[in-house]
Amino acid sequence: MTVDRSVIQSNYPPGDLAIWIFILAELAVFAIFFAAYAFTRLQHVELFNEYQLTLDREAALINTLALITSSYFVVRSVTAIKLDDRRRCVHWLLAALSMGLLFLIVKTFEYVQHYSEGINLSSNIFYMFYLSLTFFHFMHVIMGMVILAAIAVMAARGRYSRQEHTGVESGASYWHMVDLVWLILFPLVYVMR
Amino acid sequence: MKQLSDYLGIRPCTLVYLLLIFFSLTTFLVGQMGFSGLGMSLLVLSLALIKGQLVGSYFMGLGSVCGLWRWPVFIWLFIPGILIGMAFTLSYQ
Repeated sequence: MTVDRSVIQSNYPPGDLAIWIFILAELAVFAIFFAAYAFTRLQHVELFNEYQLTLDREAALINTLALITSSYFVVRSVTAIKLDDRRRCVHWLLAALSMGLLFLIVKTFEYVQHYSEGINLSSNIFYMFYLSLTFFHFMHVIMGMVILAAIAVMAARGRYSRQEHTGVESGASYWHMVDLVWLILFPLVYVMR
Repeated sequence: MKQLSDYLGIRPCTLVYLLLIFFSLTTFLVGQMGFSGLGMSLLVLSLALIKGQLVGSYFMGLGSVCGLWRWPVFIWLFIPGILIGMAFTLSYQ
């Protein structure tokens, strides 16, 4: 009896199921964080509106564009490996990593700026949320970059192919999750008032 | 989305990428121009939720998945979206 593998796979998301359980757990934590921010703001509307204006919205835009672009590059890397084009898959992954690095550099500059102004977690409740939320996300970007780098190395060594590319899809899904979280974080913390 | 991308002669993922850029720039401009208030907040939130759904469906590939696994990102966007919308609505009352 032959089994149509494409039909079976279409009932499951791309990549390993374990990474999806991990992604859902991460998303749940961020959802609680976002709701906590919104409902805490409810009790300190003036304070949140005042200190939101001190954030660097232009840096946040650059970071948004960097993450969206890196996600797009990751999509292209998955498409490349599905066509058995390992070289191009690696190139797209390296391009995605460079965008991730841009995010880290811009965010680090923001943190240095805040630090030089004496802003920290104890400054007020807005900065407590802003710093903890963005730093928690920052750590996820680093973890995503480590995963993408590992996948790029394995792809360069010929570990993935048209038939077997679950690892690339799993890493890609994690990276898209990092992008997804920022797409909510950016308007919530930097724009909505 | 696929039909539109065919019409434009670009890949669906490229079209989604361009839409994400456009919505992000719109969100940024709302902030830069100093727009505030409940209506603007809910508009910006809606744009964020649409962007999230585009990433889930087209970048994460959940749009072509059948059954339960099609919905986790939608549900994830829906629940915080409702809670954030509710909190901002209450803050204007």
